[in-house]
Amino acid sequence: MAVGTGILRVPKEAKKGEIIRVQMVITHPMTPPRKDPQTGQEVPAYNLTKLDLFFNDKLVSTVNMGAGVSANPFMALTLKADESGVVKIVYEDNKGGKWERTAEIKVS
Amino acid sequence: MDRRKFIALSAVAVMGLTLVPAVQPAFGATKLEEEVQKRLGVKLSQIKEVADIKLTAPTIAESGANVPITVESTIPVDRVEKLWIFVDKNPVPWIADVSFTPMNGQVFFSTRIKMGETSNVRAILKLKDGSYVMATKEVKVTAGGCG
Repeated sequence: MAVGTGILRVPKEAKKGEIIRVQMVITHPMTPPRKDPQTGQEVPAYNLTKLDLFFNDKLVSTVNMGAGVSANPFMALTLKADESGVVKIVYEDNKGGKWERTAEIKVS
Repeated sequence: MDRRKFIALSAVAVMGLTLVPAVQPAFGATKLEEEVQKRLGVKLSQIKEVADIKLTAPTIAESGANVPITVESTIPVDRVEKLWIFVDKNPVPWIADVSFTPMNGQVFFSTRIKMGETSNVRAILKLKDGSYVMATKEVKVTAGGCG
């Protein structure tokens, strides 16, 4: 899969006020800066730096991360479902890549 | 003969005595302490451990490249501002930080991290009143996962 592909998973339906779990997996190598063992050249880091979680365009959480997070990062956060709407994640890496994924949730 | 021996021995003893203070290492801040100071602005020794934070991680991880950790807390989310995750002995001890809002409903964060070697994992919470609390767990790593 291409770098930056993401899966965002939330329950389809929830009761009002319920605390739901928002899970995501993003395809990314997350390599730290290192020396190439063959050529001895410095290879710069390539990792995700920031991930924002929105609910109906309101910022819920911001995750800042370094290369210490595993490759193809998995993350889970919680969200209090007060109304139906769109859960959105926006994430970027240190080479200028920026992506977003959305998922819908029905609250009754 | 005895006298010579005595003199030689005492010379060695005196040398040893004068060497001892030089051998003692200047006890500088570790990498982790520097990182905590830089990112949080407080010393690690000022943060106290509490039982309100639950840090779940395997006791033994067969691969350091993928260690699942979960941080949960019974502290209400509207009292919490931010969460940091550190691994003591990683080349870069800082792993991630997460900011919370009341819309989160509770303090919960789960991810997978890299660990270079057996070390402590720390979850530090900053509360709205400006204080810091922490939970620590040791994870034994059989194969390092940095790089």
